Amino acid sequence: MSRKDESPRDPSKADLDSLQQRIDARREKYRPKPDNAQRSAWQLGMRYGSEFFGGVLVGGGLGFALDHFAGISPWGLIAGTMFGFAAGTLNVVRAAQEISSESQER
Amino acid sequence: MADTNPIKQFEVHELVPFEAFGLNLAFTNSSFFMMLTTVLTVLLFTLAMSSRALVPNRAQSVAEIIYGFVADMLRSTAGPDALRFFPFVFTLFIFILVANMLGMFPYFPGPGLHSFTITSHLIVTVALAMLVWLTVIIYGVFKNGPKFLKLFVPSGVPGYILPFVSLIEVISFISRPISHSVRLFANMLAGHILLKVFAGFIVMLGAGLGVGGYVLGIAPFAMTLGLTALEFLVAFLQAYVFAILTCIYLSDALHPGH
Repeated sequence: MSRKDESPRDPSKADLDSLQQRIDARREKYRPKPDNAQRSAWQLGMRYGSEFFGGVLVGGGLGFALDHFAGISPWGLIAGTMFGFAAGTLNVVRAAQEISSESQER
Repeated sequence: MADTNPIKQFEVHELVPFEAFGLNLAFTNSSFFMMLTTVLTVLLFTLAMSSRALVPNRAQSVAEIIYGFVADMLRSTAGPDALRFFPFVFTLFIFILVANMLGMFPYFPGPGLHSFTITSHLIVTVALAMLVWLTVIIYGVFKNGPKFLKLFVPSGVPGYILPFVSLIEVISFISRPISHSVRLFANMLAGHILLKVFAGFIVMLGAGLGVGGYVLGIAPFAMTLGLTALEFLVAFLQAYVFAILTCIYLSDALHPGH
């Protein structure tokens, strides 16, 4: 790839260039098309569903643990679940941002 | 009639019973497939890279493409300094990919003569996700010290709601390994059940309706064929999704607070 041993008389240079052109043309032809079918609706649903589920589960679990150890049942569970909903929503929003930025890059 | 129970494929059998400290540590078909995944990966990569040619042959270029694929993914999502995690991410990706692909064999010359998808068990995916999560915490604290906590304090939030926002961020952070593991597990589980249900229809039609059933059986057979192709895609895509999420989480450990 060094430039100094390049000479215009070198016949292999032209050959290489035309080969490179042909390779590029073929690559372009076989380049996988950006299709959204790969990310099927099921996959998206799983993504959002698990993100939201995780948030609510952790929030509720933390609240439940707080109830158990501090003895303030049922307020910990109630507050924890609400915070869990918020965290789950945050997760979903972040996942949506990631997915939309991914599809914009394509 | 042949067994058409769609969830029988997920049963764990003990192959070599072993008990220690009151725990059942038997060698199961799950352990067998985990070992097979590891051995197969090491063997295939050693074989592919054995020639170390400047102009690679087919096997070597596949190995190089996988290497480049994971390295690019890590570099583009977590920055060039994340390449120190390359062995970790590469191992995770290739382990899940090969395990998913091994699970696609309908029959397998192994225990029970059937294949077993280790990633269709929550305990396996949780272990992998916890590995990532703990790596993020330990490395994040080790590298950034108290600055790692910036991850839970988003910038530009007024002081009076900051405690709530931080609490929500903490819950969101703790929920990461759950969504990380459930996604892989649920995709593999649901896909394999669906495949087996449609394959079971063929057997049921044949056994129930005789010759007419054989003709009608073409419909679920076509469906099974299509779903098998889809499952191969899902097997790859889920390994990719797991790896890319690992990269995103690792980028938090490397540069928190942005």
